[in-house]
Amino acid sequence: MALIFPKSTDKYVRIGAGVLGLLALGGGAVAMYIGYPAVIMTGYTPVQPVPYSHKLHAGDLGMDCYYCHYTTNKSSHAAVPQTEVCMNCHTRVKLQSPRLEKVRDSFNTGKPIEWVRVHRLPDYVFFNHQAHVTVGVSCVSCHGRIDQMVEVKQMEPLNMAFCLDCHRNPAPNLRPVEQVTNLAWKPDRDPAAIGREIIQERGINPPQNCSGCHR
Amino acid sequence: MIQITKKLTGKKYWRSLDQVYQAPEFQDWLNREFPGEAAEMHDEPSRRNILKLMGASFALGGLTACRRPVEHILPFSKGVENFIHGKPLYYNTVMSLGGTAVGLTAETNEGRPTKIEGNPSHGWSLGGTRGYHQASVLSLYDPNRAGVVLNEGKNSDWNAFAGHIQNLQGSFGNGAGLRFLSEPLNSPSFAAVKKHALTRFPAAKWIEYSAIQTNATAQPVIPRIAFDKAAVVVALDSDFLGLDDTSVLAVKEFVRGRKITNEDSPVMNRLYTIEPQFTVTGAAADHRYRIKSSEVGAYASALLSAIQSQSNPLKVVGQGSADKAIAAIAKDLLANRGKSVVVTGPRQPAAVHQIVHQLNQALGNVGPVVTYLKTASEQTRPQIDAFKELAGEMANGQVNTLVIMAWNPAFTAPADLEFEASLKKVANTIYLAQDVDETAAASKWVIPAAHFLESWGDATAPDGTASIQQPTIQPIHDGKSPAELVAAITGYKDQKAYDIVRNYWLPTLSGGEAAWKKALHDGILPAAANTGTTTPTFHTSVASPPAASGFEVLFVPSWSVFDGRFVNNAWLQEAPDPITKLTWDNAALLSPATAKKLGVGLGDVISIERNGRKVEGPVMVQPGQADDTIVIPVGYGRTKVGHVGEGTGFNAYKIRTSDSFGFGTGFNVTKTGRTYPLARTQEFDYQEEPKLIGFQSDVSRPIVREATIEEFKKEPNFANEMVEHPPLRSLYGDYDYSRGQQWAMAIDLNACIGCNACMIACVAENNIGVVGKEQVARGREMHWIRLDRYYTGSVEEPQAVTAPITCMQCETAPCENVCPVAATVHSPEGLNDMVYNRCVGTRYCSNNCPYKVRRFNFLNWHLNEAEVTKMVYNPEVTVRMRGVMEKCTYCVQRIQNAKIQARTENRRWLKDGEVTPACAQACPAECITFGNVNDLESRIAKLKQSPRNYAMLAELNTKPRTTYLAKLRNPNPELQPANAVEEHRG
Repeated sequence: MALIFPKSTDKYVRIGAGVLGLLALGGGAVAMYIGYPAVIMTGYTPVQPVPYSHKLHAGDLGMDCYYCHYTTNKSSHAAVPQTEVCMNCHTRVKLQSPRLEKVRDSFNTGKPIEWVRVHRLPDYVFFNHQAHVTVGVSCVSCHGRIDQMVEVKQMEPLNMAFCLDCHRNPAPNLRPVEQVTNLAWKPDRDPAAIGREIIQERGINPPQNCSGCHR
Repeated sequence: MIQITKKLTGKKYWRSLDQVYQAPEFQDWLNREFPGEAAEMHDEPSRRNILKLMGASFALGGLTACRRPVEHILPFSKGVENFIHGKPLYYNTVMSLGGTAVGLTAETNEGRPTKIEGNPSHGWSLGGTRGYHQASVLSLYDPNRAGVVLNEGKNSDWNAFAGHIQNLQGSFGNGAGLRFLSEPLNSPSFAAVKKHALTRFPAAKWIEYSAIQTNATAQPVIPRIAFDKAAVVVALDSDFLGLDDTSVLAVKEFVRGRKITNEDSPVMNRLYTIEPQFTVTGAAADHRYRIKSSEVGAYASALLSAIQSQSNPLKVVGQGSADKAIAAIAKDLLANRGKSVVVTGPRQPAAVHQIVHQLNQALGNVGPVVTYLKTASEQTRPQIDAFKELAGEMANGQVNTLVIMAWNPAFTAPADLEFEASLKKVANTIYLAQDVDETAAASKWVIPAAHFLESWGDATAPDGTASIQQPTIQPIHDGKSPAELVAAITGYKDQKAYDIVRNYWLPTLSGGEAAWKKALHDGILPAAANTGTTTPTFHTSVASPPAASGFEVLFVPSWSVFDGRFVNNAWLQEAPDPITKLTWDNAALLSPATAKKLGVGLGDVISIERNGRKVEGPVMVQPGQADDTIVIPVGYGRTKVGHVGEGTGFNAYKIRTSDSFGFGTGFNVTKTGRTYPLARTQEFDYQEEPKLIGFQSDVSRPIVREATIEEFKKEPNFANEMVEHPPLRSLYGDYDYSRGQQWAMAIDLNACIGCNACMIACVAENNIGVVGKEQVARGREMHWIRLDRYYTGSVEEPQAVTAPITCMQCETAPCENVCPVAATVHSPEGLNDMVYNRCVGTRYCSNNCPYKVRRFNFLNWHLNEAEVTKMVYNPEVTVRMRGVMEKCTYCVQRIQNAKIQARTENRRWLKDGEVTPACAQACPAECITFGNVNDLESRIAKLKQSPRNYAMLAELNTKPRTTYLAKLRNPNPELQPANAVEEHRG
């Protein structure tokens, strides 16, 4: 029987298969990289309905984090404040600002402002703010220098490895409880040494077992 | 794929809430949920629909995968007082059921009530709850609740109804044609509304009716029995630990006399149960005898004459060895004058109650143990008489306007009164409806009723403990409370439920506003305790059902649906009956001998007939039941009901007549030749597998261990000596658990009465899925804690034990070694952690678990749950999906939250009792103790030192953290030895 394809076809088929295989591998690697939380999550900066600047409020004006996020040391959730909290000041300051239109609307109509969530953990993770800030883990450890951000951006991957790194070695991230919301805090000596003292003093032993965060 | 889907939506049974709530838009069908159209939900998925869905999911799937979904945070505009996002709030309230009240604490998360606990300061319940209370949150979110005002079946609204009432009020005159039908009243503020109504319309009548009778004296008197003061209790057809009283005071007090507080000189009360049905009271008894309901009176008389003349009349009553026991029981009672009690149940006629009262008088128990409390009710004659009169007046056209607040009388009314037909002869019927049920279908106006968690009210317990029923949520469907409805109809001075309650109580409180707030906070009002005692008189005119040939039928409340009102509650439907272990259905229970005589077995449908009234239902054979007696739990077989209750059980009310309210005689039974599948959670049973009955047949594996108190005195260590095994060595190195907090549990089998409260509390706390009847039959129920019931002894006169079984948190857990993905691993605090997000569903762990306490999500039980039903979820616990294993975690979310709180307060260790798992908190018998064994002062550490403490299957070297305290019984030495243990240990 005569050959339908010349013998050299085999070579092209082999090369073609090899190239396709390499492409698939490379594509897989790229897909995995893109899918990695550290890549996909870090840097997320959604546009908020109200151009609220943390840099202005927390940084320049020096408002304490707890003024607005007042549930942080009382509850698992660091709640976004109700519109009333904004209006505590903005009934006196920047009364007519068009940028505050949605805040005034919300206050007058009772409808919530639809903030866009920046930091999001999976549903099966039960992170608790109270447990962290009340023992001396600062906001900055997970959220970065919010006081320098005009728009809030996710700075850390917030994946399980990120959590466990600190749970295995909490000392570098511990500071006196009164300094928790001082994002610019610079200790005068080795922060890890301070952390070790706090661990000693309070008997801190962060859970590394599953039910610490998953239930 | 199509085939599977078809099977899932089969007509006969439903597998899960998935199918039940298939409608995509809850609000859409809420407004037109009148039963006729309900079948729409069961539309079989067409090929076209499936293609459409597939197309849509491809399109959406492609889109969402591109980027992270945008999620919004919606904070309040205005703050809410005391509300901290993520922290639950607790409100004290009260639930009335069956004429009594149980004080509760409702946990709300983000404004949604999600969990019910008992309120320990409530004098009539002392913090205990039943399954009904635990499951009441699910009823609140029932998508099939009455949602809108209906007029002649058409949508209307409250304003239209108010207008109608305006027109109608003029025609009431002196109220000659006006009738009110309510449940037995225990609400003082509602009583004030009632009083006003009857003053304004003097010729009107108010009838109180409940299908489950709770008070046989038929007058405003209720016996208060202090079971903790009784050394000997004789229960004659009385299920005082079970459903004869929906409050749990009797359980609390009885168990107090049952628990061994001093193990060196143990003291226990003694319980004789003489009953037709096998009840949980019978299971707890030291001696249990069978008797027909109609013979209870004769038995009580025989007991009375044996006590008075101190001679044994030897009148043969009862079955088996019941009559022979009379002399010994009488002797035991006489030896315990003034500290014993004889009780009988509400199914028995007043004449029997009178004899029992005489017995207690003769024994000097009236006073020290039994007192009779005057109650607030104004009922002075048997409720059935008043109800009969009402039905007669309705049939004669004497009733113009009938306001119905009692639950579904068209369904529950005695069959001979033809209530449903008479209802249509009343020009104006106004029904306050929980759901669009049989009565709603026959009523002109249907007003949605508010759930007790969403409306103001109040309730008094018989001892005078009064509580405000404090709402925890705005009425979801704009429902009204009974007081509001009557206030609107009769023009009471206050119209809103809040005003009615508050304006009633505020003048009575000495502290004014502050006292009102304190009463709300405490859950009890500072009202004077009801100490007014009285002597009861009994309406013996109510004739006992005549003795007749044929079968006796006993109508009992159901553990799942009570009188039928909880038929649409999936948690209760799926919780098995404590004794029969039947779910999703009722059955005609027959004794083994009777079943044999009739030639029927499990699932055979029989027809029960008397005087032309007939009902057909499946048989279940119940060991230990009286012969020639058929026990039927009522409330099932509803025809107009939501989707959960559809097609469950059969309607026993069809053969329940006004002369046989508790039980009836002279029924005929015929076989139909058909069968009906029944789903039980524990299949081992005398009829089928004699080798597998409980633990008795398998001497090497005593699961539940018990002994008599005398044996215990001789051999305190009996429980641990029951199993001999070689020294146990682990393949793996031992972990050091001597440091830190080590969680453990002890379950006192001496106290457990097998009531299900723990199961339902666990379901509510841990977002456990409901699987449906078909899946229960396949053994796929999801309960993390189950109640095993084992029989011992003969088929005719068995004893039963109940044991809660849950994950034992083994220190050397066999499940952990076999998990290929480390989804179940041990925590340093001794918990066997289950990581849902890691689980891939190999089910090896379940295979390797000797206790069979792991549960697998074979399907996504939560899929397509109605939006409103999702409000019941506990936000602290993951909702598991298909393909994931789950199990008890000792309520790890509660442990973690308590630890975080302690850490915030700079405490390293939790205090004893700071964490209580849901099961232990719900248990009315306080049989579950939880705590840190490394805290040597804790209750749990002390219990673990008890000689009765044993580990189940310890010979497998699992080192379980949950251990059991062996059961003790206190049999009368003069009667035959409590068969079980002797045989077993011999």
